[in-house]
Amino acid sequence: MKKKSEFQQQREKWEKDVEKTLARFPERKESFVTSSDIPIERLYNPEEITFDYDKKLGFPGQYPYTRGIQPTMYRSRYWTMRQYAGFGSAEETNKRFRYLLEQGQTGLSVAFDLPTQIGYDSDDPMSEGEVGKVGVAIDSLKDMEQLFDQIPLDQVSTSMTINAPASILLCMYIAVGEKQGVPMERLTGTIQNDILKEYIARGTYIYPPKQSMRLITDIFGYCQENVPKFNTISISGYHIREAGSTAVQEAAFTIANGMAYVDAAIDSGLEVDQFAPRLAFFFNAHNQFFEEVAKFRAARRIWARIMKEHYKAENPKSWKLRFHTQTGGSTLTAQQPDNNIVRVTLQALAAVMGGTQSLHTNSRDEALALPTEDSARIALRTQQIIANESGVADTVDPLGGSYYVEALTDKMEEEIEAYLERIGNLGGAVQAVEDGFMQREIHQSAYDAQKRIESQEDVVVGMNAFQVEEEINPDLLRVDEELEARQVSQTKEVRNTRDNQRVEVCLTDLREAAKTEDKNLMPYILDAVKAYATVGEIANILRDEFGEYVGT
Amino acid sequence: MRKQIRALIAKPGLDGHDRGALIIAQALRDHGMEVIYTGLRQSPAQIAQAAIQEDVDVVGLSSLSGAHKSLFPKVVQALRDKGASDIPVIGGGVIPAEDIPYLEEHGVTKIFTSGTPTEAIAKYIQKLIDPEMEVMPPPQKIAHIGIAVKSIDASLPFYKDTLGLELEGVEEVDSEHVRVAFIRLGETMIELLEPLNSESAIHQFMEKRGEGIHHIALEVDNIEARLAQFKQEGIALIHDSPKQGAQDSQIAFLHPKAANGVLFELCQHNHKE
Repeated sequence: MKKKSEFQQQREKWEKDVEKTLARFPERKESFVTSSDIPIERLYNPEEITFDYDKKLGFPGQYPYTRGIQPTMYRSRYWTMRQYAGFGSAEETNKRFRYLLEQGQTGLSVAFDLPTQIGYDSDDPMSEGEVGKVGVAIDSLKDMEQLFDQIPLDQVSTSMTINAPASILLCMYIAVGEKQGVPMERLTGTIQNDILKEYIARGTYIYPPKQSMRLITDIFGYCQENVPKFNTISISGYHIREAGSTAVQEAAFTIANGMAYVDAAIDSGLEVDQFAPRLAFFFNAHNQFFEEVAKFRAARRIWARIMKEHYKAENPKSWKLRFHTQTGGSTLTAQQPDNNIVRVTLQALAAVMGGTQSLHTNSRDEALALPTEDSARIALRTQQIIANESGVADTVDPLGGSYYVEALTDKMEEEIEAYLERIGNLGGAVQAVEDGFMQREIHQSAYDAQKRIESQEDVVVGMNAFQVEEEINPDLLRVDEELEARQVSQTKEVRNTRDNQRVEVCLTDLREAAKTEDKNLMPYILDAVKAYATVGEIANILRDEFGEYVGT
Repeated sequence: MRKQIRALIAKPGLDGHDRGALIIAQALRDHGMEVIYTGLRQSPAQIAQAAIQEDVDVVGLSSLSGAHKSLFPKVVQALRDKGASDIPVIGGGVIPAEDIPYLEEHGVTKIFTSGTPTEAIAKYIQKLIDPEMEVMPPPQKIAHIGIAVKSIDASLPFYKDTLGLELEGVEEVDSEHVRVAFIRLGETMIELLEPLNSESAIHQFMEKRGEGIHHIALEVDNIEARLAQFKQEGIALIHDSPKQGAQDSQIAFLHPKAANGVLFELCQHNHKE
């Protein structure tokens, strides 16, 4: 009989100890699972990892990038601290931007109000009550000029959360740059431009999927020639997760959407290595620390493999999944709002351990309103403390090789791939969205989570446990109710003072171009924007030509 | 018969966050309500129109974009303009506490803030629409399955020896003229019923159909109130007030025509295991 190894003997002894302990002290639960319902073992051991280092991990900056996309990661440069901000008028938001830059923020991230995001001007009847509420109101280039007043566009990178009208806002950004003397090839930043997740989870769609995909590939095509440093899309799992998905669903649906964009770009005649290096991703970070870290690592590995093996991309830049992370807004509670600072810290730490390229930390008061300046500063400081004081950024992938993290990374990879296969069988992400497949899966997860909270199977501190009597009424940021009227009159003023004949010509040209599928619409939109045509006017031309998507 | 509560869940304005609205819609359905969800981007006039067309008892609004102060009162006004001010409007979303008095002054009946359990919202609506009605939790499990047998002694070996189940006890229930044996099966029981004389309902049952499954008993709370509610709703009952059953329980039978020919018993144990 083969002699048992020392390891085996010790393990058996431990198992006996466990039995004895369990007899006296049963565990807290019969079984432990992650938020994605992946079983969590009592202990992870070296033998459970089928450790094929080269294939599964590789070195940082090397395929398949499980350990990170750069060789030195945060030892060279911290992640970009990029706080999403915007409210009210362009003027007010400009002030907040300059405040954040003074406080050491390293990139801008623009929140637009809902009318802008859905292609309505502030004076459109549909915009009533929504102007300037969840972000800044932008109607014409005039507003965009104010938004970036005294902010040199060659010195900041700007992320814009804009999807259906992404081409219009990108053109406005290009036009502002031109006025500042910054040529478009030097502009850096990101437009979200991810329409599929709007149908799935976020709701700011305008046009039907096919026409929307054309607008997206037009941007890819135009930018790779003219705005080569701009990230042309940020494929977003963030909102899918906020809508209630699990971590596995977030990663799976995002990657599936990413594949749909790659397919569309290739179908439109682009070479994969022409546009793939400019694809960026945007993920969420929720509370379950290890699951989140494993999610980021698994997503990187899967994307690299898909790009290299499935799409045959040859440029390593096409293989790298670069991502922005935002902490989970839906995990924050209205009760005892200061507790949210702690949640955000854990989530931000998970994003950093997962190798994020940039990070937004939510403010403690976001379950109640937009953040006040104080709250926004604490949120930024949270990142700065993690970066400068905790030491976690001083070595690359510090959790790599953890028995648990590697096993969980493998398991999540497996489950994500199972979803990708299902979506593939449904005909790809666009078809799956149209059939409502992802929407149903997310809703089911959201409802299950709600039931777990109500039954107290899941504890949310301060909300369904450890409550206190409190008056939930901290100082909140209020958007000036007069703003809507002011914005409406400013836009009327723009319409009265611009060269309306020129606008008419630009819009007619755009309409003609929209009728033929082989015309790239970007140059037409850029001309219209420069003539001070409004977001609503441009979007409406395309509404006429493309039709509108009706949600399910 | 009491009419089912109909609720319209609506997303006014341009806000696309519908996780909360969808969860509320499903939770209200799970509480037996008929729920119509409008989908995104509805104007106040469209919402009022839908509420009237669908003849709903209540309108629930959800907004997370900060537009509630402008949009919620407009929905109330639109309902008034269409002569439907009797339909109450409730709301939720990301709504600061300090805005609640304003919304209530402008005709919104109730605002639920973040973190409210769906159960509380469902109960609130039920009370709002039908204050008389006490909300009954559904039956929790099958208390037992009743099987009519000629002789308990002759039947027991199958359950005890063949299936290996455990006999919990045998007792006589004089009011029903039966002897019963309880056999435990997981969280439920099998109840063997042997008639004591020809007055027994079990005797009459076997005369007509022979031995076999007789009834299914459901474990409930508030048996009296529940029977009163069923009666009010026109559900056919054999007993309209509870009587003493075996194992220290209160029981009552519903009429088989209430459930497609299945005889159901409600069963409330006085002290739970």
